[in-house]
Amino acid sequence: MQINVFSVILIILAALIIAALIKAVLGPRFTDRIVAVNCISTMVIVFILILSWYLKAEYLVDVAIIYALLGFTANLVLTRILLHKDQTPGKKKHRKGKGKEQEEENP
Amino acid sequence: MIVIIIAAALLIFSVFMFFSAVLGLYKFKYPINKMHATAVGDTLGLISAVIAIILLTGFSLTTLKLILIPVFAFLTSPVTTHLLAKTEVKFHGNKQGEYDEEEQ
Repeated sequence: MQINVFSVILIILAALIIAALIKAVLGPRFTDRIVAVNCISTMVIVFILILSWYLKAEYLVDVAIIYALLGFTANLVLTRILLHKDQTPGKKKHRKGKGKEQEEENP
Repeated sequence: MIVIIIAAALLIFSVFMFFSAVLGLYKFKYPINKMHATAVGDTLGLISAVIAIILLTGFSLTTLKLILIPVFAFLTSPVTTHLLAKTEVKFHGNKQGEYDEEEQ
C-alpha cells in the first residue's frame, strides 16, 4: 500500500469525524448535538468525494448527493419536532418543570 | 502534475477549515457560537474540496453532479442554521449565559 498526500488527508478527516462524534455524544444540550451532527455530515460528504476519485468509482458522487439530502432532512425533522412540540395532539405533559413555563408563556 | 499539486493544496486547505470547525466545536461553550464555527467548514471547506475534485477528475458529466453539491449546501445551510437558532432561543433563550448544573 503506497502512502501519498490523499491517504493522509483521508486519515486526518476520519480523525476529525471521530472527534466531532465524541463531541456529539458529550454535548450537554440537544442543540450542541445537532450542530455536531451537522458538522459530521459535511465532513462525510467531503470524505466520500475524495474516495470517489481515489477508488475511481464515479457512482460515489451520487452517494454524496444523497448524504447531503439526508443530513438536511435529519436537521429539518429534529428541529420541526422540537419547535412544534406543543401542537402535537395527545402528549401534553411529557416535559415537566422547565417545559411548563414555556407552555404558559406562549400557549 | 501541476494540477495534482493545486488539488492537493486545495484539499489540505479544506481539511484545515474542517479542523478549525472541530476546534470551534470544542472551544466554544454555547450552541450559537458553535454554529458560527461550523459554518466555516460548511461553506469554505466544502467548496474548496469540490473544486479540487473537479480539477482531479476533469470535465465530464460527473462535474455537473459535483457542482450540484455546494449549490445544495448553500441553499440548505442557512435554513438549518436559522431553525437551530430558533430552537435554541425557544428552549434556552432566557439562560444563554449559563449552563444549569442538572443539565450537564
